[in-house]
Amino acid sequence: MAETPFLAIENVSKRFGSTQALDAVSLTVSKGRIFGLAGENGAGKSTLIKILCGVHHPDSGQIVYDGRAHHPHDPAEAERAGISVFHQEIPICPHLSIAANVFLGPAMPKRGISPDWKMMNRQCLELYRNLLGEEIDPKRLIRDCSAAEKQLALLVRVLSRNARLVILDEPTTALTPPEVERLFKIIRRLRDQGITFIFISHMLEELMELSDSITVLRDGRNVGSLGKEEFDGRALSTLIAGRTLSTKSYRHARKETELRLEVRDLGLPGEFQGVSFTLRKGEILGIAGLQGSGRSAIARALFGAPPARTGEIWINGKRRLIDRPLAAAQAGIGYIPEDRKTLGIFDDLDVKLNLCMAGIDRFSRRGVLDKGELRRVTSGMKDGLSIKMQNVDAPIRSLSGGNQQKVLISRWLALKPDILVMNEPTRGVDVGAKQEITELVKRLTEEGYTFVISSSELEELILLSDRILVMNRGQVAAEFFGGEVTKDQLILAATT
Amino acid sequence: MKNTTLQRILGVRDFGVLVAAVAVGAFFSIATPVFLTSYNIFNLLRQTAELGIVAMAMTVLIVSGEFDLSVGAIYAVTGVVSGVLASKLGWNIWISALAGVVGALFLGFLNGLLIATTRINSFIATLSTMMVFRGIAMVLSQGQPISFKLEFFMDLFGRAELGGVVPVPVLWMLGWGLVMYFVMHRTTFGIKVFATGDNREAADLAGIKTMRIKQAGFLITSLAAGVSAVISLSFLKTVTPTQGTGLELEAIAASVIGGTAMSGGVGSILGTFIGTFIMAEVRTGLVLLGTDAYVQDAFVGLVIALAVIINVRLSTKKK
Repeated sequence: MAETPFLAIENVSKRFGSTQALDAVSLTVSKGRIFGLAGENGAGKSTLIKILCGVHHPDSGQIVYDGRAHHPHDPAEAERAGISVFHQEIPICPHLSIAANVFLGPAMPKRGISPDWKMMNRQCLELYRNLLGEEIDPKRLIRDCSAAEKQLALLVRVLSRNARLVILDEPTTALTPPEVERLFKIIRRLRDQGITFIFISHMLEELMELSDSITVLRDGRNVGSLGKEEFDGRALSTLIAGRTLSTKSYRHARKETELRLEVRDLGLPGEFQGVSFTLRKGEILGIAGLQGSGRSAIARALFGAPPARTGEIWINGKRRLIDRPLAAAQAGIGYIPEDRKTLGIFDDLDVKLNLCMAGIDRFSRRGVLDKGELRRVTSGMKDGLSIKMQNVDAPIRSLSGGNQQKVLISRWLALKPDILVMNEPTRGVDVGAKQEITELVKRLTEEGYTFVISSSELEELILLSDRILVMNRGQVAAEFFGGEVTKDQLILAATT
Repeated sequence: MKNTTLQRILGVRDFGVLVAAVAVGAFFSIATPVFLTSYNIFNLLRQTAELGIVAMAMTVLIVSGEFDLSVGAIYAVTGVVSGVLASKLGWNIWISALAGVVGALFLGFLNGLLIATTRINSFIATLSTMMVFRGIAMVLSQGQPISFKLEFFMDLFGRAELGGVVPVPVLWMLGWGLVMYFVMHRTTFGIKVFATGDNREAADLAGIKTMRIKQAGFLITSLAAGVSAVISLSFLKTVTPTQGTGLELEAIAASVIGGTAMSGGVGSILGTFIGTFIMAEVRTGLVLLGTDAYVQDAFVGLVIALAVIINVRLSTKKK
């Protein structure tokens, strides 16, 4: 490439205590391109981004941005230079309108001392038309908007302030596939208007679909870049993981085992209805579907959080009333929630308490906690599942996402349930940990555990499941055998 | 590896507040020779016994993610009920006091019930019950103080001094503190309290009945209010319907000085105990220095702010 790069990072290093977060990373980003950035958690992506937007300062190396040295002291300075970051958590005021959120700040149009709403709404409308090519009602309140619309409002907000480099940090995690498509269309349109993007995602497909080039970080180093014509899922995941990942489909010759779970005509108004299936010991049932199709709601209903309103759940031949999580636990069901951070982890507690929290009363003698037993069980799980931690008394926050997820799985394994319901078992964990969790699920089925897995990652479902239910608008649209289904069949069933 | 010992000491949760307590104590010891005498220290502890008992219970509740602003009013109701029964109706003091404490527990039960059924924020819910309970104390006492006659009961709960040195309220506070410490840091109930305040949804999904935990918390604070009211009436031989005004806020302050997070999930009984001690140190220290009574509250306010700032600094450095 002959053109001078828009952003050039040269030999940037950053150290936190004993961890070398970035080790002489160099890369260049051309103007008007979408620059994909991939890597496992802890590979250095976030550190790099935080240096770019002034949260951290590099130990050595330099950054040239738009022909000038770029050393922002704080995020505000980076923003003035035209660099904006887009997080999963969107900082907006939910009770204000779209227009107000776009203009909030010193640049808000005013008449006298009061905001000029007419002007603001008109300008907002124009911005949406020009930038995104979309029509909206600028007077709508943000709290009534979907996650995707909130993101767009934020995008318009930063663009209206002359952002020229927009960093998209996992922008698609909260979006449904059609919303992702819409976002991608808009990003491409903006790229063609000359905005430069750095796009970070765990989803390799998305990276390959949107990016003009993909650079991979591993252990704080730039381990390689692929141009658009070289994109290949296998090559990428090898680069990311530093080892070859098995993508063999997993299909076991299954003996007829005893019936574990039978669900008859389960329904929850507004979520799903008429869901029936059976599951034998050691089987894995996958549930696929778009967000809001009832996929996740079924998984939650099996655990009573919230429970289904109609229908019956039979476990090991007995009808069980599952009206709350405790009832499900007593019936032999464990649940690994879809959002580790808000629904699973106790931030301020240590690993052993996090691991043993379900049924903590087992570890007591007349209410008095038996910490030795807690440590023993946790160590057992640590070895059995190879959970990486300093020791069982370490704070849970010191563990990586994948290891936290293993702790959550162990939380239920420690109770030896018959059935484990997993909602998005690998969301937010890196490629290597994904593989490990998949292996773990396989191993556990051999030990006789039965799984219900609700996931938005179709490949994962195809890889693992014996059967896959596809949900569409609250109803079972199709049922496939895991080994025989292809991805497009699933997508077709889920979207039509 | 060379600084592990230092790290271990600094890592102890209550280290920061302990440093603050020692620093405040050192300051007053230098400023006035009568501060660091066993008489003064025990006197100081006796004066703070009621607050300490309530604050340690409040810690349990705050850790679970709730507040109880009505403890001061419950404290008054307990005293007034005991007073009316013992002095006006001539009941036995033991039964009167027991009735007062049972009454306190009932009010705590009502708080818990209100929060469980209506799901109102406990701050506002107990603000309203605070006024209602205070009203009950006013009506029952007709706004007048009630005196008791001196009995052995008073010695046992408030007036005696063990070996002529240690006032019994101090022993009751220490006993209560040990029980709270044990409940909070050694039982599964305590772990559930931490889990509930840390991440309620996750606790629900782990099969913990979080509402029950919170309700139990309200019972504990009301019991603490009842117990400390008995200690107070024993020591003073009198109760007033206005007693305990502001007790709830002092208890919250002591708890927060001791490192309890207002957002729940973090806190320690020992920390709260030391937090209470700091507040008492400042109050008596100022008295001994001959400070005008009117500026004392202002100083206590400054100390609260300072202690919390130091504590927040120390605890964020750990992360």
